[in-house]
Amino acid sequence: MTMTLAHIAVTPTSPVLLAGLVTLCVVEVGLLAWALVDLYRRPSSQVSGGHKVPWLILCVLLQIVGPVIYLVAGRERPATTRAGRLHADVPVPRPVGRPDAAAAADRLFAASAGGADPGASVSPSPSGAAIELRDVRKAFKGAVALDGLTLSVPCGSVYGFLGPNGAGKTTTLRILAGLARADAGTVRVLGRDVGDGADVRSLVGYLPDVPAFYRWMTAPEYLRFAGSLFGLSGEGLEDRVATALTLAGLSTTRTRIGGFSRGMKQRLGVAQALIHGPRLLLLDEPTSALDPIGRRDVLDMVASLRGRTTVFFSTHILADVERVCDTVAILDRGRVVTESGIDALRRSRGGISRLSIEVDDPGRLREALAGAPWVRSTQAGEGGTLLVTCDDVDAAQRELPALVGRLGLALRRFAVDELDLEDVFVDLLDGDHP
Amino acid sequence: MTGLAPFLHKEMRETLRTWRLWVLPGFLLFSAVSSPVVMYLTPTLLDRLGAAQQGFSITLPEPTALQSYIEYLGNLNELTLFALVIAYGGIVGGEVRSGTAGLTLSKPLARAAFVIGKWLSQALVVVVGAALATLICALLTRLLFDAGPAARLAPAVSLWVAYALMLLAVLVLLSVELRAPAAASGAGVGTYAALLVLAQFDVTSRVTPAGLPAAGLAVVQGESAHWVGPLIATVVVGAACLVVAVLRFRRREI
Repeated sequence: MTMTLAHIAVTPTSPVLLAGLVTLCVVEVGLLAWALVDLYRRPSSQVSGGHKVPWLILCVLLQIVGPVIYLVAGRERPATTRAGRLHADVPVPRPVGRPDAAAAADRLFAASAGGADPGASVSPSPSGAAIELRDVRKAFKGAVALDGLTLSVPCGSVYGFLGPNGAGKTTTLRILAGLARADAGTVRVLGRDVGDGADVRSLVGYLPDVPAFYRWMTAPEYLRFAGSLFGLSGEGLEDRVATALTLAGLSTTRTRIGGFSRGMKQRLGVAQALIHGPRLLLLDEPTSALDPIGRRDVLDMVASLRGRTTVFFSTHILADVERVCDTVAILDRGRVVTESGIDALRRSRGGISRLSIEVDDPGRLREALAGAPWVRSTQAGEGGTLLVTCDDVDAAQRELPALVGRLGLALRRFAVDELDLEDVFVDLLDGDHP
Repeated sequence: MTGLAPFLHKEMRETLRTWRLWVLPGFLLFSAVSSPVVMYLTPTLLDRLGAAQQGFSITLPEPTALQSYIEYLGNLNELTLFALVIAYGGIVGGEVRSGTAGLTLSKPLARAAFVIGKWLSQALVVVVGAALATLICALLTRLLFDAGPAARLAPAVSLWVAYALMLLAVLVLLSVELRAPAAASGAGVGTYAALLVLAQFDVTSRVTPAGLPAAGLAVVQGESAHWVGPLIATVVVGAACLVVAVLRFRRREI
């Protein structure tokens, strides 16, 4: 072909050939310009393969053919446009309500107990821990991510892994999922060394903080693919896919994943992690960057798993931990600052409680409380309310009403305000951070 | 290799449903159709050119089926291999960077199965694409010329397929080592260019994969071809690249 064009090119005065050549050049330059401008303006996320440079090389070096291939196959429609159409044309799919979610979770986990599940016969470690981390260390180019992390997650718990950004939560979860390796220390999942590979991973479901799916697949296709990697097939797989879609509220969605909203992806992420009824579910900040409704949906799904599997749930959102977790570890700079049940954690802060009492003369009561041994501080609240911080809530509940009686005051309201997790979190980490 | 079958199935479906289907098979098809047609039209075009221009005449020998096959193999060796290098630079690294590999490899899919599955699926595309393209080229050539040495085309293209699969294995290794697909493609182009240079020397063309494309051209022309050495070297280099890619990918953090 090169030879042919070269020979034609020596006869520029031939009108037919000249016209043909000019047309060819116009087409060639036009296509190239169109492709290059489109490539320049288009974000990488909307280019097939996700990278512009190979397409640029293809367009420039393979003239006419390269631009045509790029224009036909290299461009993807913007996800937002698809999502926007989805939201405009059909109701936004929502997950099922909590009772139905619980029923769906029941079906997923009941099926896994039948023996098809590769992890059905596996027991947790002798200590009863689903996760055991001992003195785990990990550094990235000199920056310490985990600094002697030691942790034990009881089987069957919904375990909150709490910490500020950069504390080492994601690194821990990636090590547990087998995607990264610890520099030192012991990492055991359900009684097995995490380095055992596929055997361990067959027992675990994992949702990363930003789940990335194959954009060309639909939700059922992705779940089928995920299930097949766990050795599921046939009717059993189809049942599980249908159940997981119900759980995620994606049963009626036919859109490709590339057009999903963030919330839909997050729910699909939970569904794919549950497809095989895992013994351990690792969730890395599953509610971050979700709107309040999406966050509630995901938390409802997690809550529906209580008692069915062990959930290890990392987050920096305290309210999420309070809502769904029964045990919590607080991580800071790669080390566990504290680990206990949520109620115990609140109590452990020196037994400190806050009382609010409303009387007709709060000033007199405040004076009278000055010498009480169980009082740490008093503070005037709004509308005649006195806020009392105390070391011994039992003594306070016994003696405070009696004191009000002795002073002849009218008691209008008396309540014990529990410290919330945020108070505990700030109390634990305050002062450690510059 | 745990999970190879479902992963391979996914890869094949991805090929059929995304841009991958268009690139390599597109080039193969383009080569298959354009080679005989261009060879057929060239003398006619030049004749008309001469008639239109007094005192200007280029006479080419009558094109033959053999020339059509040589043109086809030439296009495979240049255009199509170049497209392969560009298209598959991110074959592994692209998935790692996008995050899809992380979610997939958190499941019981062996790292080896991931790498081998990637190579195998695209190897299948190369083999099937080359077979279909060669069939089309042979049919078109027969239609426009005569059957020619069609029996020699199959072994010649087989040598090209072996060379392409080796190049694919090199790209898999580069894609494991270099996270950026563009960097892997660039290194792939460098490898391709280095092989072209090696092919210029008699010694290296006999004992390295570099001699295989020329051997294919010799085979189709019925000349004595030194293809055994280059073929063995191609298989060894391809297998070594895959083994190293698997070993390196096993140790890599996703």
